[in-house]
Amino acid sequence: MNNTNEMLVEFKSAALNESFARMVVAAFITSTNPTLEEVSDVKTAVSEAVTNSIIHGYESKDGVIKIKAKIEGRSIYIEIIDEGKGIENVEKAMEPLFTSKPEEERSGMGFSFMEAFMDKLVVESTYGKGTIVKMWKEIGVLNHHYE
Amino acid sequence: MKSYEVSNGVMIYYLPKELDHYAAEKIKKKSELVFREEDIKYLIFDFNNTVFMDSSGIGLITGRFRKVHDKGGNVYAINVKPTIDKILNMSGIYRILSKRENKEEIISEMIEGGYYE
Repeated sequence: MNNTNEMLVEFKSAALNESFARMVVAAFITSTNPTLEEVSDVKTAVSEAVTNSIIHGYESKDGVIKIKAKIEGRSIYIEIIDEGKGIENVEKAMEPLFTSKPEEERSGMGFSFMEAFMDKLVVESTYGKGTIVKMWKEIGVLNHHYE
Repeated sequence: MKSYEVSNGVMIYYLPKELDHYAAEKIKKKSELVFREEDIKYLIFDFNNTVFMDSSGIGLITGRFRKVHDKGGNVYAINVKPTIDKILNMSGIYRILSKRENKEEIISEMIEGGYYE
């Protein structure tokens, strides 16, 4: 049996929805038979991306965040999409410890965590239009990124 | 259950199940109120109930560290589960966050160091 599936969910850019976003994605990927650690990795990555959309994309104002996800066998693909203010310099934003909001106690580790917990990360952003974060992860493959 | 306790300049914060941006903001506000009224030198984060954490938690710890460090204090983490330990390790926060098994361990260290005299 070939395990293929797709999902799309959209929700308000409220901090309360960060846990909702993680739960939805965690539930969606169960058919790939992930370990608890793999579920936790994906949840952290999704949480980072959604938090970025809320804090930076929409600057804590109302907006809509979409999550698209696909499963093929044990491969997971996730997109987190916002139509917020976008990132002026993606390369700079992705530097470890860089944050545009140090006064809000942001650690600047969001993208580093996404990179460490997923296999591949691509960030597409148009300044003034919004951001799409694309992430891939193969379930059942040992990941040595953080060892 | 109370989310924190304060005695003799030591604050112990019982962290929630999920430590994300939403939770971190609330904890920051609560602890800032306490910091304004009490002279907190040692802050203990109890991770006993915590099963999820992202980089917002790192920001929270770093922010609180700055406050107590200025007074020559310290920030501790206790009852850290493997999932959380992985995040804390990866972030490099253990350079400023001291991990101990439990509260008793910290208290006996403080007694040895003469804090309670």
